[in-house]
Order: sequence, then C-alpha cells, then structure tokens
Amino acid sequence: MSLFGHKNNIDQPKTQGELIYDAQNRTKRMFTTNVAISWIILLLFLFFLFSGLTITLGGYTFKTIHLDTVFIQENLSFIASGIGVTIGISLLSILLATVLALLAALGRLSKIPPVYALSTFYVSLIRGTPLYLQIFFFFLALPQLGIILTGLYAGVLALGLNYGAYMSEIFRAGLSSVGKGQREAALAIGMTPSQMMRRVVLPQALRFALPPTGNEFIAMLKDSALVSATGFVHELMWRATRVGRAQFHNLEALIIAAVFYWIMTLIFTSLQSRLEAHMARGDR
Amino acid sequence: MNPIIKISHLDKYFGKLHVLKDVSLELVPKEVCCLIGRSGSGKSTLLRCINFLEEPSAGIIEVDGLEVHVEVKGKQRRQLVHDLRLKTGMVFQEFNLFPHLSVIENVIEGPITVNNMDKTKAIEIAEMNLERVGMLGKRDEYPNRLSGGQKQRVAIARALAMGPKVMLFDEPTSALDPELIGEVLTVMKKLAEEGTTMLVVTHEMGFAQEVADRIIVLADGQIIEQGRPDQLFSNPQDKRTQALLERYHN
Ligand SMILES: Nc1ncnc2c1ncn2[C@@H]1O[C@H](COP(=O)(O)OP(=O)(O)OP(=O)(O)O)[C@@H](O)[C@H]1O
Ligand SMILES: [Mg+2]
Repeated sequence: MSLFGHKNNIDQPKTQGELIYDAQNRTKRMFTTNVAISWIILLLFLFFLFSGLTITLGGYTFKTIHLDTVFIQENLSFIASGIGVTIGISLLSILLATVLALLAALGRLSKIPPVYALSTFYVSLIRGTPLYLQIFFFFLALPQLGIILTGLYAGVLALGLNYGAYMSEIFRAGLSSVGKGQREAALAIGMTPSQMMRRVVLPQALRFALPPTGNEFIAMLKDSALVSATGFVHELMWRATRVGRAQFHNLEALIIAAVFYWIMTLIFTSLQSRLEAHMARGDR
Repeated sequence: MNPIIKISHLDKYFGKLHVLKDVSLELVPKEVCCLIGRSGSGKSTLLRCINFLEEPSAGIIEVDGLEVHVEVKGKQRRQLVHDLRLKTGMVFQEFNLFPHLSVIENVIEGPITVNNMDKTKAIEIAEMNLERVGMLGKRDEYPNRLSGGQKQRVAIARALAMGPKVMLFDEPTSALDPELIGEVLTVMKKLAEEGTTMLVVTHEMGFAQEVADRIIVLADGQIIEQGRPDQLFSNPQDKRTQALLERYHN
C-alpha cells in the first residue's frame, strides 16, 4: 500500500497548490536559516569588537576594545555567585506580586465600593511612581518612621508591590476568561459562591495567568538589579559594580553581569515557551 | 399524587420586560414534560427560575416539598436556594463541563465539594452514573478531547451524581452537530424510562412525541396550551401552537 502510494507520488506531477505550498515552505525555511546565520555573524562581530585585536586595513589602523582577561578570570566566580541571589529575589518578589495581583484583580471585580477603590488606588499609586523610588522609599524613607527593613526585604517588598500592580491586569483577564456558564454550572450543582470561586473559577484563571506570569518573572530577573542600589543585597549587579569600581574595571565587570543576565533570560524564556506550548495543548 | 415540582404564580421581569407572566405549573413524580415555544418566549427563564439561576420577581417555587417564596430574603433565602439546587439537576445547552477537570473529576466534584462525600464513595457513584450515560470508557479524558455529544452525556452524569429529585434540561441538543443529537436523546430517553422526573426545553419534536408525558407550550411568557403529545400534535388549539408546529413539519 505504501509502496503503491510512493510510486504514485513519483508518477503524478504535483498540483499547482502543492507547488505553491512547497515554495512557501522553502521561503520560510530559508528565512529562518538566514536569520540564524545573521545572529551568528552579529555574535562573532561582538566577540571581535571586544577581542583586543589591532587590525590594519589599507593604511588605517583599527583598534578593537581590549578586555582585561586576568580581571575577568579573577572575578568571574565572585560575580557569578550573585546569580542565585538574583533568582532568589525574583522568585520571592514574583510570589508576593502574584498574591497582590490576584487580590487587586478580585478587588477590581468587586461590587463593594471601598474594596474596588482600594484596588484601583493601589494600582494607580504604584503605577504613578518609579520603581527606583519605591525601592528607596522602603529602604531609606521608612527608617525615618522607625521601620527598618534590610535591603533584601525592602527590595522584595518594592518589587512585589510594583509588579503586583502591573500584573493585576493579567489576573483580571484570567478571572474574566472564565465564562458565565462555568459559574452557573457550579451554582447549579449546589456550590456556594466561595466554593465556586475556589474550585471552578480560580483554577482556570490561574492556569490562564501562568504563562504571562512567567514573562513577568523574566522581566523581574532584570529589574531586580535595581535592588543593588540599597548596597546591601549581594546579587549580580551589586557584585559587578563592587569589583568593577574597586579595581576600575567597570567595563569588564558589567559585561560579565550582562552576559549572565542574558543567558538567564534565554534559559527562562525557553522554559517559558515550553510551558506555554504545554498549556496550549490544554489537556491539563 | 403530590406534585414534585409546583410553580405558583411565577412572574419574572428583566428590567421593564415582563418575561414570565403569572406562570403556574405542576409536575408529578416520574413525569416527563417537554417545554416548547418560540425563541424568546421565556422557556429558559422559566427553567432557570426553578433553581434560582434567575431570580424570580414573584411567586412560589416548590420542589419535593421544599417551598421557596420569592419574598424571603437574606440568610434564610440563601439556605433555601441552596437546598433547592440540591433537589434539581440542570443540563445546559453549552454543556459547561469544567475544562480543568477530567471526566471523572467533573462528576465527583459536586458530591465531594458540596456534600462532603468521601472520595471512594464519590468515585463509586460517579462511575455508576458515567456507566448510565455510556461514558465510563472516557473516565480519565479531559473535556476538550470529547465530542459535543460525549460532553453533554458527561454533563448529564455530573448532574445525576448529586442525586437530584428532578432534572432540568435547557435545549440539551441545540449546540450539537446533527449526527451527535441521537446519542444524547437516547440517554435522556433511558432516564425517562428509569422514572426520572424531567422538564425538558427542546426543539426535538420527535423526542417530545415519543418520550414526553405532556407537552407544554409557552408563548410570550404564558402557558398557552398543554396536553398529551398525541393530542397536542394532532389537534393543537391555539393559533400560536399551530404556527409553531407548522414550522417543525417543514
Ligand atoms: N439576562 C437577561 N437580561 C435581559 N433580558 C433577558 C435576559 N435573559 C433573557 N432575556 C429576555 O427574556 C426573554 C425570554 O428569554 P429566554 O431566554 O427565556 O427565551 P427562550 O424561550 O429560552 O428563547 P430561546 O429559544 O432563544 O432560547 C427574551 O426576550 C430575552 O431577550
Ligand atoms: Mg433558551
């Protein structure tokens, strides 16, 4: 049977539609390949730019940027040990942000005026002020009122509050993605409104919100660098600026940190798209 | 025989729109009633007032001896409505299965969450009801892997698992592809034969003729005519009933 089919394929000329489909596929594949090649060229160019080589071309001399490899070797592990702290801060902050965002979203859907007001007030206040200011507020301004937070707590609190305000929109969309029919089905089998919320609405809303929350986490990895400004949280950025300033090798130190941030982003983004693909299958 | 459903002087307004006008209706145990009527005549609203998915504006709803006066408010009302919902099972046009739960989880959800039943017992009951609707074979599938007809049969099992006294169906086959309607109607017919009290909003006149004990015709929020299927179909009295049946003949 398969032999026969195969033979058929060879004998019969392709239809117009098949030819167009093939051509489109070829164009698509060629585009992807060319993009990949260009990426590699750009990366090589970047390496070259920081290679420290001197090139003479037709009488002109080009000097590429020289990086101190000894400094890099000596400080790489010191900076790298900030990765765990960066991920840790981001996880704690995203956890706090998720809780706040969910509460804010529920408040936003509430019919009780003070609750609705509290939710919109929180979101407006946080969105209306810079994250950098919020971090300093918790770290520097609160002590004046006798509340002293460590750099870590101040940072997590500020990042969590800040991201919570922005993420409330995600959870609002998640909650309203659960249709009226779902609520009615839950009520019809005798669930109370709170059982309906816990057993039917929230599980679906959270599922909906999981992939975008992953995106926020990836953004958080980089915004967590702001916490270094408190001077007391030994994450990636703090470590890079510390050794960079002390030995006047900021260029090398920041490049190391940048590479780490970039790699983390690439890894988590790929995990994220896998998660998204898994959720899209929708059988769980 | 005492009625198992007794609706007395039910009125329903949506804003200024008077959708149900002084409707009274009784079903005796094991009776199968089909509710027919033009689109917008108030069929869904009548059904949904019985389990308070819609708030009636006036009247009394009584199911299996539990009387709920619309005027009662507050905590007492919430308790009554809750008990009323336990006595009624509802099947929706759009199935409304819980997509995050597997077939068996959909069916044990009510008994476990609402009735605090222990899981082994709930699974036993769920499996029995899935068997009744011929869906036990798909017990671990997720709803999005099922056809419309299969979804609706699971939705019926989910309602049955709560052990309701009456079953309410709101156009259970209207969202289905024609070739899937039969399997759902077969299940409903079987339930009717087992003695389930059923109130069914439907456009399936063949089903109504074959299975119903009584046909009720609703027009503009009022019951305009009712009777045994053979009588009503062969000799409709009201002009609006005639016009309605006319459409199904073509
Ligand atoms: N939530 C609502 N708010 C306002 N009006 C409504 C609402 N639900 C229904 N109505 C109106 O009430 C009337 C009766 O609606 P209902 O859904 O009960 O009709 P139906 O007989 O079930 O029609 P169909 O065969 O189309 O399902 C219609 O005029 C409808 O527009
Ligand atoms: Mg309807």
